[in-house]
Amino acid sequence: MSNKYETFIGLEIHIHLEANTKMFCGCKAQYGDEPNTNICPVCMGYPGVLPMVNEKAMELGYKVARALNCKLSKNTFFERKNYFYPDMPKNYQISQFEEPVGVDGWMDFDTPEGTKKIRIHDVHLEEDAGKMIHAGDMSLCDYNRAGYPLLEIVTEPDIKTPEDTELFLRNFQRMVRYMGVSDGNMDEGSMKCDANISINLVGKGLGTKVELKNMNSPRFVRKGLSYEEERQADMLDQGKALTQETRLWNENRDQTEVMRTKEEAEDYRYFPEPDLPIFRPDQTFFDLVESGLVELPLTRKHRMMEEYKLSADQAEYIHDDLYLADYFEEAVKLGGDSVQLFAWLSSDVKKLLNRENLSLQDSPLTASWLTELLELISSEAISGKIAKKVLDFVFSDKKSPKTIVEEKGMSQVSDPAVLTAAVDKVMAANPDVVEAIKGGDNKQRGFLMGQLMKETGGKAAPVPLQKILAEKLG
Amino acid sequence: MDTKELYHTASLARLELDEKEAEKLSREVSQMLEYFNHMLELDVSNLEPTTHALMKNNRLRRDVVAEQTVDPDEMLENAPDLEDRFVLIPNVL
Repeated sequence: MSNKYETFIGLEIHIHLEANTKMFCGCKAQYGDEPNTNICPVCMGYPGVLPMVNEKAMELGYKVARALNCKLSKNTFFERKNYFYPDMPKNYQISQFEEPVGVDGWMDFDTPEGTKKIRIHDVHLEEDAGKMIHAGDMSLCDYNRAGYPLLEIVTEPDIKTPEDTELFLRNFQRMVRYMGVSDGNMDEGSMKCDANISINLVGKGLGTKVELKNMNSPRFVRKGLSYEEERQADMLDQGKALTQETRLWNENRDQTEVMRTKEEAEDYRYFPEPDLPIFRPDQTFFDLVESGLVELPLTRKHRMMEEYKLSADQAEYIHDDLYLADYFEEAVKLGGDSVQLFAWLSSDVKKLLNRENLSLQDSPLTASWLTELLELISSEAISGKIAKKVLDFVFSDKKSPKTIVEEKGMSQVSDPAVLTAAVDKVMAANPDVVEAIKGGDNKQRGFLMGQLMKETGGKAAPVPLQKILAEKLG
Repeated sequence: MDTKELYHTASLARLELDEKEAEKLSREVSQMLEYFNHMLELDVSNLEPTTHALMKNNRLRRDVVAEQTVDPDEMLENAPDLEDRFVLIPNVL
């Protein structure tokens, strides 16, 4: 986009909280089950029922607000957000408005231009709506998801580019996974992100806001926003006015399409939910929130760079997945070299995992076995090349690298007698080559080394072997 | 309350009003609003709003799946129409 314009992006992120039950009733928080099985009079909006807040959801909500550096509410309460749509049988959603669990926070994230800060407007608890399928002239409703505990995180319009938005979302996703509050999977709908975008001439402040929906991965959020940025710039270039509207990302057409124009401001008529008392957390509750805090991904990444001398890219790779990060640190503690560990984890181990369609978690390769493998290389018991074969066997035989090397006789041969015999044999079999080398054609040495490796089944220790060969060739 | 405002309020509540009803309601609602205006005259700037009365704070529920006291199938019988276990309604997209 031309640098005539400035872009403002704000996000509304919804995450499903990791809880056993719904937000306000004891129904199983699980969908994918047979339609309308996890329902009860409370989530079906029957008259006279009494909602009750799930304490786990409350705790997780405060934890996220705390991790996002919010001011935590000392008296949070719920409100009814009124709207008529059959995805919610009550005709209102219980949400928070005046006094959400947290306000005025911020979150840092890494970009190629350095660490950036995004302000968080608020973090509030609410319930999800049911799922609807629209088919022909009918709509089908499944209320298993109605009442599912949901946390909404609203950012200020501080993000400047679609690329930063994708990075921010990936950082956010990682954070909720590290904290164990949500699995953060956008393609499965346990995390959703609506984006508000406006552009304006540089220095003129926010422009006309367009809301984008229906993007089910951080990458699609970026693509949707890029499309929208271009579209809005074209409109302004042509002197046209932008309309405040909601648009949907169409991933098959790679474009955004109007969903509805907002002619009048939505009027949700929020009012305090009379059936739910104010929640005033005591010190015990705040202590519980504090004690549950973990080292957040960005902090961990920066510490890993410092502590293990990893580059930003290397640390980015390792810290991306919590299990991998823990695994890596365990291996380092066991004596593994951090750079070697990174190299193996990011290439050979990764390739094998892909081939076997396994996660590191489910693979037989424990952190201590990987460390053992690296030790075998550094002590020159095996070469790097043989180590790859050993790794293969670890996966197929589910035995430790040491056991495999012993059982299969894969140790490197450095016994001078054995190596000398091999050199003699190969030289005798290739007299022309030997003559050529002696005549000064050094390129042929590689051929001899190849033959020697073949002769020793790849097990000859290269350094002593080269030394003996050099002596023999004079 | 002028009729335009009344119709807006009615539409938010999904209420249909004919002219006669609107006229009658408009008068009655105006009267109610007047009572509220009286209350608004009081200075409450130093008071915390009472959103909830006579309720114990911090009433939370443990995150444990509760036994189903009403059979979901029974609730579904109240639906206007069903297809497989879905509640079937006119298309609202």
